[in-house]
Amino acid sequence: MARFALTRREFLAAAGGALLLPPAAFAAAAAESVPKDKRRMLQLNGYAIDAETPLDALTTYITPNELFFVRHHWNPMYPDLRRWTLAVDGEVSSPREFTLAELKKLPRAEVTCVLQCAGNGRGLFRPPIPGVQWRGGAVGNARWTGVRVKDVLERAGVKATARHLHTFGDDKPPEKVPPFHRSLEIEKVLADAIVAWEMNGQPLPAQHGTPVRLVVPGWAGDHWMKWLVRLSPQPEPQTGFYMDTAYRYPKTPGEPGAAVAPEDTKPLTELFVKSSITEAPPAAKVGTAVTIRGFALSGAPDIAKVELSDDGGESWRDADLDPRHDPYAWRLWSFRWQPKAAGRATLLARATDSRGSVQPKEAAWNPSGYLHNAWPAAQIEVAS
Amino acid sequence: MAASVLAMALAVAAAGPMLAKAPRKKAKTRVAPADFDVKLPVLGTNLQEYPAGPGKAVADVACLQCHSASMGLQQRLTEKQWTGTVEKMMRWGAAVPADKKAELIAYLAANFGPDNDRFEPTVTRPVGK
Repeated sequence: MARFALTRREFLAAAGGALLLPPAAFAAAAAESVPKDKRRMLQLNGYAIDAETPLDALTTYITPNELFFVRHHWNPMYPDLRRWTLAVDGEVSSPREFTLAELKKLPRAEVTCVLQCAGNGRGLFRPPIPGVQWRGGAVGNARWTGVRVKDVLERAGVKATARHLHTFGDDKPPEKVPPFHRSLEIEKVLADAIVAWEMNGQPLPAQHGTPVRLVVPGWAGDHWMKWLVRLSPQPEPQTGFYMDTAYRYPKTPGEPGAAVAPEDTKPLTELFVKSSITEAPPAAKVGTAVTIRGFALSGAPDIAKVELSDDGGESWRDADLDPRHDPYAWRLWSFRWQPKAAGRATLLARATDSRGSVQPKEAAWNPSGYLHNAWPAAQIEVAS
Repeated sequence: MAASVLAMALAVAAAGPMLAKAPRKKAKTRVAPADFDVKLPVLGTNLQEYPAGPGKAVADVACLQCHSASMGLQQRLTEKQWTGTVEKMMRWGAAVPADKKAELIAYLAANFGPDNDRFEPTVTRPVGK
């Protein structure tokens, strides 16, 4: 199962890449790691395991696997890889199964992008909403390696009648709990979804869906099926609790706490534009600049700008965006702030994405508590 | 014998640090120092329990079947929301005897209502590199 060793070609590519980097850039990249005292996880559930990353550990462009948030519906699977296959059936001319070795012979695909839980920030909504009370750390940015779903479906002869890809994981719900079966539009799948077996250069860890999971850049985590065992293109969307009731969003968000009729909802797909603050000093002095850092993400492929305000949102100034970027990855940002007056200051951040969507002051309350994206705030005590 | 061992040791020492280095194979098996606080509980450790009170025994059976106690402890729901949640879980197979349903809802609403601030996540050690 394990593929720890680099192939000769990968080794040469890695070595060549390193040699091409100027020494300073290489040193900066190598030094980018999360300090030991910040390397911990906030466990919200012991079983099935749900754990988020403390925001002050989300400071690197690539989130390390062991610090990446974990969300389970039920207990994880540990499949027997000698028998494991990925089945492809439905609207295809040649239904078939792929072993992991067969998948790895297909053209290799790699994307670096954000994975965020649909419910990230649910715990911040008022009135409160049932479910895992994520604070804001159910998000990370990783390099995913595998094969394009398009290449897999084409080898099974996907037909033009296929409009929705039904996806099936191998994890089993307890009792009479409905299975976590999902589907997503075929256009999105064919555009950029991949079946990934590596996360940041390591075999996909058990808690992230070993041996393969779906990667759907820019879309919420509920589409990223873990322990993936079957893909079935179909003319119609999947039905069931996790399609018809869960992972839906009001067509027009209403008053906080108000019920929304099922016909007034639509499937939740793309992430909302959002910035989060990961580092801000608790104290500062008038005239001495301090640095505030964070990340920004969206369902659009890039972030256009991140701005900060120290006057409650009256005026805004641009933060510096980190040059590292991949489509649907997050952008790290930093902001040098000069405190001008003593007292408690509140710094607010807001992001704008490449489609012009601006992060709102308040997150739109919705009955399932999805995609909280209000302006984040940092409180700084300024001494004279 | 003893003299030749001593001679070898002296020769190694004289050759300097290059030769004295442990063979590469051995270095591979060396355990790296932990890059996290080893005193932290490992991810998946259950340290939280439902608070004492009437209805705890029902919750211990019905909820802990599928969730750790933390799932209940972190909620801040009205009695109406708890009723909806309990009924959903009963449809999904939660072991709630019909004559204990009201007791369970009252327990959850009394302990984990909108003002509940008792929950803190468990700080755990990272796993799964």
